[in-house]
Amino acid sequence: MRVADHRFRFLSHEALLGAFVLAEVAYFGVRGVNFFTVGNVFEVARASVEIGLLALGLTAVILTGGIDLSVGSLLGLSAVLMGAAERSLGLPVSLACLAGVTVGVLGGALNALLVARFDIPPLIVTLGTFSLFRGLAEGWTGGVRNYTNFPESFLFLGQGRLPGGPPPQLVLFLVAALFFWLLLHHTAVGRGLRAIGFSPQGARHAGIPVRRRLALVYLLSGLMSGLAAVVYAARLGQAKADAGSGFELFAITAVVLGGTSIFGGRGTVHGTLLGLAAVAVLQNGLRLADLPAELAGLFTGVLLIAALALGRLVSRRSHE
Amino acid sequence: MKRPILLVVLVVVAAVVAGACGRSEPTGSQLTVAMMPKNKGNPYFVSCRKGAEEAAAELGVKLLWDGPTETDPAKQNEVVEAWITRGVDAVAVSVENKEAISTVLRKARTRGIKVLTWDADAEKDARDFFVNQATPEGIAAVLLAHTARIMGGKGSFAIVTASLTAANQNEWIKHIREELATRYPDLRLVDIRPSDDDRKRAFDETQTLLKVHPDVKVVMAIASPAVPGAAEAVKQSGRTDVKVTGLGLPNASRPYLKDGVLDSVVLWNTMDLGYLTLRAAFALVKGSLKAGDKTFAAGRLQTLAVDGDAILLGTPFTFTKANVDQCDF
Repeated sequence: MRVADHRFRFLSHEALLGAFVLAEVAYFGVRGVNFFTVGNVFEVARASVEIGLLALGLTAVILTGGIDLSVGSLLGLSAVLMGAAERSLGLPVSLACLAGVTVGVLGGALNALLVARFDIPPLIVTLGTFSLFRGLAEGWTGGVRNYTNFPESFLFLGQGRLPGGPPPQLVLFLVAALFFWLLLHHTAVGRGLRAIGFSPQGARHAGIPVRRRLALVYLLSGLMSGLAAVVYAARLGQAKADAGSGFELFAITAVVLGGTSIFGGRGTVHGTLLGLAAVAVLQNGLRLADLPAELAGLFTGVLLIAALALGRLVSRRSHE
Repeated sequence: MKRPILLVVLVVVAAVVAGACGRSEPTGSQLTVAMMPKNKGNPYFVSCRKGAEEAAAELGVKLLWDGPTETDPAKQNEVVEAWITRGVDAVAVSVENKEAISTVLRKARTRGIKVLTWDADAEKDARDFFVNQATPEGIAAVLLAHTARIMGGKGSFAIVTASLTAANQNEWIKHIREELATRYPDLRLVDIRPSDDDRKRAFDETQTLLKVHPDVKVVMAIASPAVPGAAEAVKQSGRTDVKVTGLGLPNASRPYLKDGVLDSVVLWNTMDLGYLTLRAAFALVKGSLKAGDKTFAAGRLQTLAVDGDAILLGTPFTFTKANVDQCDF
């Protein structure tokens, strides 16, 4: 019963969201100017990679019933320290990127330690590190220092085009998405994360190393923040303490819209990708259709509530 | 699973029909100018928009007005990217992050879009012209003229600035010092205090200032939150022989102007700034404004000076008790 029930819900949510994305594309394709062009598709992708990377990490976190509010702040901290390593210490840009990613992993490790080792609720831990990481970034730069003038080879990662037009960072994103898809849908670890989300107690009795699995997802989330920081700095050509402010909410929106239950246990990587597309296409389409961009927030809110309410209705009906 | 597919087809068809109905037909020769404030909700920029709309109506230009509503510094880039894709004739940006926006503005220029900056500039090679609302020389001259008038040309005054490292304010102070040396030998600048763009801090610093330098007759507050802060401190001190002047926004200054504690606040006319920017964007696309021009005919603002690649709005505007109610920002 559970299997059938699960499949039914999953199909219907994905189908609905997929239909919504298609409808968006169709609407803006007719209404917007130059919306339905290859160039625009790649520009939407370029603007979505940072939030997309964060959303991938968050999909794993939320699947376990946890949350990571610190991803945007950690992006800011990683970007600033990467910028400092390259501009102030004069490290080669590849080493500076590695430093930025390492900061992300270390930030994730702090979350992992507090959540998995000391059993502090993730909402509280990451609300704390949300302020902590941003505060460190602001303290380091005095809130005003802006690292710029990165080498061309580095900026290419964020601003360039590969042969045929796709942005280079899209490759990184696709690799990350494939990694999370394999991890969550095709490994014992992924099944373990789902089990933890359903019931941590049950998972523990089933012999799943709950602490280690929890530590893993917060570490991965930190890693994604570090990678997103590098992409962000390359796209904008600057690293400042306000980098990535508010990104955590966009990323969580994409994940939840994509059908991942905020209580854990249920969710898919492809759902997250669809959720991300729904939000990104909406923002871009409204601009190209000369409609007020504020509508994006409004529609996203309505969509999110509608998707969750529908999910509830479907699951209640299937239990009857 | 036949029904979901049918549903999808229906939804897509409905969306296409809706899109086709809502589609605004291209209006032939009408120009499209896209303008971006630093922040859409800020009353300062809301009043700039009024001026831009006025000019757009006069010239028959389609005006797109969009910008960040949140603090994300990447937002300005995304909006310009969308404008490049959409294809506009000119883009005019009030720049939040100089280095970040310049990349995308250069890209717009390579696509044949005319690029202006206004209010705050980008890197020079990223735009055609900068609409400069006020030069540091102009601001320094007007502020000192008010100070000298209040004190009768003689005595001590002090400055409450933004932070001691703020680039704009330090530029103004440099010109104030130059002007003092050459034109106001009897005025003495006795102290410069920071406010860190915080009203409460300006209040505290002004209180200290009045105690340490009892001879100060004018407090010149040169950051917009510092004006009400300094005025409140002078008001509470009960000293009627001390006046405040400075650079600030009308709404925050209004009660103190009416009280008489605040003599005057200097700012540029924000509606004129929006008006001029749109006029300049239009002229740039039409080819009537080009590199090397010395003047620019800006509609109701008449002929304005062009200094290199900066179009100057002119002398700053002074708000007093008499005219502050004409503005709402």
